[in-house]
Amino acid sequence: MGSVKRIEFLLICFFYARVSCSSVEQKIYVALNNTTPCVRLLNATHQIGCQSSISGDTGVLHVLETDDDLDWITKTGPHAPYMVLMDSFTFTRSSMMRLKNSSRVAGVAVIHMSTPPDKGFSPHTSCPNQNTGVYTESYGPDLANCSTTVWNPLGNGLSYEDFPFPIFSLADDNETQVIRKCYEDHNKRVNGSAPVYPLCAMQLFSHMHAVTDTVTCMRRTDLQNSFSINPEQLCDPLMDYNVWATIRPINATAKGHKQNESMVIAATRLDGRSFFYDLAPSAEGTVSGIVTLLAAAEALRSVTQVAPPPRNIFFVFFQGETFDYIGSSRMVYDMQNNKSVIDFDNVHSFLEIGQVGLRREQNLWMHSDPISRRNETVNEEVAFLVSNIKSAASMSNLTLDEPNATQALPPSSFQRFLRVRPIPGVVLADHQSSFINKYYESLYDTAEYLKVSYPPNLSPEEQLEYETEAAKSLTEVATLVARSLYKQAGGENSVLKNITADTKTMAKLLYGFLVKSNNSWFRSLLPREMVSKDRILESSPPQYYVSLSQNQQPKSVTTFVKYILANMTGTATNLNQSQCQNPKDIPGESKDLYIYDWISGPASENHTAGEPFCVRAPVRLAKAMSPAFELRQYGSREYSTWTESRWKTIKARIFLVASPQLQMLTLGVGIAVLLVSLVVTYFISSKADILFSSAHDAPNTTY
Amino acid sequence: MTAAVFFGCTFIAFSPAVALFLLTIARDPLRVIFLIAGAFFWLVSLLLSSLVWFVAVQISNKDSSSQQKGLLAFGVLLSVLLQELFRFAYYKLLKKANEGLLAISQEETMPISVRQLAYVSGLGFGLMSGAFSVVNILSDSVGPGTVGIHGDSQHYFISSAFMTLAIILLHMFWGVVFFDSCERKRWWSLGAVVCSHLLVSCLTFVNPRYEGSLIPTYMLLCVMAVWAFFCAGGSMRNLRLCLTCRDKDFLLVNHRPR
Amino acid sequence: MEAQTDTRFVPHFPLIRVSNREIMNLERVSNEEKLNLCRKYYLGGFAFLPFLWLVNVVWFFKEAFMKPAYTEQPQIKIYVKRSALGLILWVAVLTTWITIFQHFRAHWGEVADYLSFTIPLGTP
Repeated sequence: MGSVKRIEFLLICFFYARVSCSSVEQKIYVALNNTTPCVRLLNATHQIGCQSSISGDTGVLHVLETDDDLDWITKTGPHAPYMVLMDSFTFTRSSMMRLKNSSRVAGVAVIHMSTPPDKGFSPHTSCPNQNTGVYTESYGPDLANCSTTVWNPLGNGLSYEDFPFPIFSLADDNETQVIRKCYEDHNKRVNGSAPVYPLCAMQLFSHMHAVTDTVTCMRRTDLQNSFSINPEQLCDPLMDYNVWATIRPINATAKGHKQNESMVIAATRLDGRSFFYDLAPSAEGTVSGIVTLLAAAEALRSVTQVAPPPRNIFFVFFQGETFDYIGSSRMVYDMQNNKSVIDFDNVHSFLEIGQVGLRREQNLWMHSDPISRRNETVNEEVAFLVSNIKSAASMSNLTLDEPNATQALPPSSFQRFLRVRPIPGVVLADHQSSFINKYYESLYDTAEYLKVSYPPNLSPEEQLEYETEAAKSLTEVATLVARSLYKQAGGENSVLKNITADTKTMAKLLYGFLVKSNNSWFRSLLPREMVSKDRILESSPPQYYVSLSQNQQPKSVTTFVKYILANMTGTATNLNQSQCQNPKDIPGESKDLYIYDWISGPASENHTAGEPFCVRAPVRLAKAMSPAFELRQYGSREYSTWTESRWKTIKARIFLVASPQLQMLTLGVGIAVLLVSLVVTYFISSKADILFSSAHDAPNTTY
Repeated sequence: MTAAVFFGCTFIAFSPAVALFLLTIARDPLRVIFLIAGAFFWLVSLLLSSLVWFVAVQISNKDSSSQQKGLLAFGVLLSVLLQELFRFAYYKLLKKANEGLLAISQEETMPISVRQLAYVSGLGFGLMSGAFSVVNILSDSVGPGTVGIHGDSQHYFISSAFMTLAIILLHMFWGVVFFDSCERKRWWSLGAVVCSHLLVSCLTFVNPRYEGSLIPTYMLLCVMAVWAFFCAGGSMRNLRLCLTCRDKDFLLVNHRPR
Repeated sequence: MEAQTDTRFVPHFPLIRVSNREIMNLERVSNEEKLNLCRKYYLGGFAFLPFLWLVNVVWFFKEAFMKPAYTEQPQIKIYVKRSALGLILWVAVLTTWITIFQHFRAHWGEVADYLSFTIPLGTP
């Protein structure tokens, strides 16, 4: 019989339980695997991002290169709707807004080019976290809404637009070659005339469940959970964990005010974002602060054990700051409600590390809040902090300055603390007014932009150890931060010169956070089951989008920071594995003061896996979920209300589409065959008696 | 492609079979039962051939292309032979069943003639094999894409549908000729049926040059149709009688629903 | 002899030919029974069961309007007419409500969510 081949395929599929079954599907579709969608996020009032229809959006591919193409897509082209294929240089606000306002666009696929545009690109808003900082109508109204300083002047706000079609990012690799070839072969216009069918088309699936705003989607989620037999979550709050540590351990199980503790808070942020779902390299925006604070913590370890300063130092890494200060607002909320380990009376002063990776002529800027400095005592304390930092800087070749005294604080976690109380504090950054960072919260804020690049022909191990210029320069900043903190904590001047951050550590930190998290150093610092099972180590840089915490597990960056901070502030003990897991009964050990981690240990020459040991450190995680969700105030204007929509399928594929005429012809032929066969069969069947009667077969007609 | 193509191809592939079923079989439960039994026999033959195929693929060398080609040819041969074997088995079973039916029936004549059985079982074989060969293609035709991104012909769907149409009808005709030659013990025509079945199967190897497989298949279909017509008791005289409608009144009076 | 004539009409496969046509056949029911049945359906419809009225109308339409007159027919006629009226009312009310609800669901926001049993994903 005929299609034996096909049948056999089908049967083999029965045996293999339908694993990539249809060979016909492979003849039609080319699936694109290396894609990242833009997804929908929601806050109290808006939805942002993109979505497709539930069955995916299909359009004829057209490459957008010139304004002529834009006209073709939105006005003149005969094959609407179009799937627009563009490279990341064309991905600008003006072209995207024209596509958004056209009903002839089925979706957009952006090919991510590795070379960044020279003039800069930031899809973020020009005034980040505009409405949730400290400056409002009641607090410095002339500074509110970035009216004095536009922090991110290149920000075009694309990340905060709501697109009615799907937008996918494609990595520039073999798959994009296939797409381009398909386009060249079938869709290329010859002398301006329209191409003929069959045409190359693309289908994008990114149907989002949540809609309108957080209030709506949380209400519907709650309704579903209380009524439906098969509840369907629509959206989840963005959340993860803050990481904190102190140089002297404090009782982490007792909440509220700590007697006789005065803390210098050293803070930075852990997250960033870009236009596309979980792509967020955030090298300058976030990583420069993380590595500086981690290296500073390490620089302080030995000195604080020998000559502990009178005040404690509280290192904290805030998660979710990009989305209206999730982490810091939660910590502030907990401190106000005695749910945190410290409260506001324990806070002495605040030093925040902003973006410090791109310094011009060794300059760093100390930003402070002009409104709280109107208070004389606060002003004095800020001046004291500034002088401490300056004196620490005098020992290095860094130049520090304060910007114009009337300038507002840049977007920073510190603002959330100032909303409660005028704490003296400084934000350390590499920009005097607006950001130097040309690629703030974009895909181009990468290791290359921070000039973390390696000479060719280095093995991964050599790269890990290689001291780049960026590493050296950030080490200086880390040293400065460590010394300033020590001095601010009341430490002796004479010890200051013993505090130096290690360039080797900085090199390794930069490699791990910006190039490849799966390196021998990270492996040695993490518990072995996490290295082998959890697969949080990747051969690519970690991504810094906060996302939502799955099963209450902290995301990879948080985990890295936690274990590295444990290594930087903790001490190795000689407890064995079971003691390490349960050190309750051992004298001198306390789970209230420390966490105990059984970590892999560095791999040595003869031990490739390393010798595991127990590390004791005063490092903790604290939940970073916006208080709005704790309070169930989903329409809150005070707290972050960002949620991420859920979805089922994220998929992209290309294929050819046939002309409508051919499709209708097929249908017409089908109907004709149906009619003809009905008529003919009726005719034959009604005359079967005559047709099939033969003389010798009398009574039974055969037919 | 789209729903239009799906329905178009479905109509092309199955409308003759469905029309035959509705107008000649559906009203008689006995015929329906024999049709389904025929379809079942075809399925069993497919199960056997695929089991053998499954084992053969496992033990074959996957890298050797000549071996894979040989395997495919072997698969076709085996599948065709098994199908015809099961047709014969079904014939034998029906003969037995008919005797049984005759025994319990109060009427003197058989409730269903061997020629009717041949037609019904052939259609059962055809329906099932047609369904199996085209259903997964049809399911893919609903999607937005058409074949061709790897350079294949975009007439894949419609030519598959026409091929299926031919196969369903061929199975019907083969059934009629096969049973008739079994009745008359004309073994050479049994051989002819098996050979033509093999020929049609091998013609699909010509794909994707669809005209190369479709045209010979349809020519063979015509030949088989004529042959089956004569096997089923048709003759030129009957045809002439029928076309000229000379005995219209006779027809109207004697028309029996079937 | 009698048995033989009977079996002439027995089909070859008795199991398949068995149907419950007799049970559902109004022809075999007496006129009082019909009236009784019609009344039951009519009254049952008041328990917010408009489909009973629909069944009543469809089922008894011939009895009420096509058949030659008999004693119970006027009564059946009344029941069928009233059932039809009630049915039309129901259809009108439901159609209006469904149209209004579908049209304004997104606009009503919270209220509409509480009125909905299932909310389609990804639509306002």
